[in-house]
Amino acid sequence: MRLKILTVDDSKTVRIIVKKSFKSFDCEIFEAQNGVEGLAMAAKTTPDIILLDITMPVMDGVEMLTKLKSDPSLKHIPVIMLTAEAGRENVMKIAKIGVRDYIVKPFKEEVLVDKVSRVVDLRPAGEAEPKQKKIDDPIDILIVEDKPAIIEQIKKGFAHTPWVINGVASTGEAIDFCQKKLPDCIIISLSLPDDAAITLFRIVRSNAKTKYVPLFGLSVKTASEEQARAQQAGFSTIIHKPIDFEELEAKIGKAVNLDTSGKYFVIDEDYMTVRLPKACNAAVVNEVSTYLKDKTSQAVDAGISKIIFDAQKVSALNMDVIKLLLHSMKTCRDLSLNYALAGNEVVREESKKFEESKDWKFCDTVESARASL
Amino acid sequence: MQQTFPISDQELEALSSNAINSVFNTMLDKTAVIKKVIKVDEQTCVEGIQLPVDASAPMIAGTVGFIGNLTGIMYIFMELPLAMEATCKLLDLDEDDIGAEDHELVNDAIGELTNMIVGTFKNDLSNKGFECRMTIPSILRGSNFSIEPAEVALRRIYKFDCGGRSFVIDVLMKEEN
Repeated sequence: MRLKILTVDDSKTVRIIVKKSFKSFDCEIFEAQNGVEGLAMAAKTTPDIILLDITMPVMDGVEMLTKLKSDPSLKHIPVIMLTAEAGRENVMKIAKIGVRDYIVKPFKEEVLVDKVSRVVDLRPAGEAEPKQKKIDDPIDILIVEDKPAIIEQIKKGFAHTPWVINGVASTGEAIDFCQKKLPDCIIISLSLPDDAAITLFRIVRSNAKTKYVPLFGLSVKTASEEQARAQQAGFSTIIHKPIDFEELEAKIGKAVNLDTSGKYFVIDEDYMTVRLPKACNAAVVNEVSTYLKDKTSQAVDAGISKIIFDAQKVSALNMDVIKLLLHSMKTCRDLSLNYALAGNEVVREESKKFEESKDWKFCDTVESARASL
Repeated sequence: MQQTFPISDQELEALSSNAINSVFNTMLDKTAVIKKVIKVDEQTCVEGIQLPVDASAPMIAGTVGFIGNLTGIMYIFMELPLAMEATCKLLDLDEDDIGAEDHELVNDAIGELTNMIVGTFKNDLSNKGFECRMTIPSILRGSNFSIEPAEVALRRIYKFDCGGRSFVIDVLMKEEN
């Protein structure tokens, strides 16, 4: 949902500057020329934040603020004063009525954006309802690491993906990169000299454009002190060296909110195949379950009536996988879809050990499963 | 009376210069330097004086007053090309976007600049212990502006240069008992 900002100022110039300051953010600007109009507009639009001048004709900012704060339906709206009046008496008086912040004119647009972003969630334009990226879409990952070998290792580790890995060696280069292009995820080496990882973390988090980018720390497992500091600072996740790329890929996918359904659900001409991976742990089962309803509905909409559950790569059949398959089979029955199971020898043997799956019939191959439908 | 006025000439010049440069630097990415100071009192200005700029040029004058321990008024006289340049920079527009006849937008922009300049000036006075409140800006357009005598304790006219263009501020103040 777009953020609503109400600017109450008798100067059209200030209102235009406010509009201009927030044009690259996903927000709607409402305008009022004085306190009376401001209160009416606030009641009509319920803005997320109000930028309020003090000296205005008809009703000044102090009177409007007093009335706003005494109205139960409007008093929750945060107010930032944006005014040329900065005398101590004025500031004290307004602080008592309740303002979130105070910006004294003249002001830089960056200061305005920064102060507003501290009070409300300011998102870059177009990010409010983003088109969810898929696991096989290119995403930009920024690695901040002073050891080129590690950057190369990460590039090789993700060579099978369409992800674009960008490596930089310092905080300054990382900031320059972010100004030119907003990365989907940033991985920062926690062992950068002069506490640079924490400094960069704070810079990224305090910038309205980058504050939502997932930040991973990269560290050797034994460096517990630097990891503790990073966690305390607020890093999303700590990745250990040597890197487990399967784990890192999953973590990035989750942090970037990638649609990973393509890893499991494949729609052919006549069939939808649900491919379960080798390590079918609780996280994977949960991920597949999340997509199941939508994907089966999508298959039905596409005119597909046959589904193959392919467990040939699964290394062990645990209760989580059994529950997933039970749930999947029920969904198929509810939607009148025909289904078949394909599994390796281990899966077939283990299925017999559970009451719920002892009667399941697995085909040796996907082809034979297809032929069985 | 002038000897007992709590703001000295030097202080007033520093306050004025700081107010102009704070606003010009922050909002317009420009700096301005004082080129001429005119001390106006009832003896030297019995019949009024012309502004120290091309009198025939069309000008825009912004005014904001302040009322409190110190009461006063500040006028900013700007030639139209500089006013237009400032408006374009403030609003991130080209001159073509504004149009020569869009007086309202230019008036508003210069009014707001005046408001910010006097606000900065007044806030500095507050920091010195003189609490004041500001009035709403007003704008005048015309040419051949002249300075008439007024009953004030302190009045100075500063001519500034800003990248080859001139503008003038007229500061009048008196102490309230």
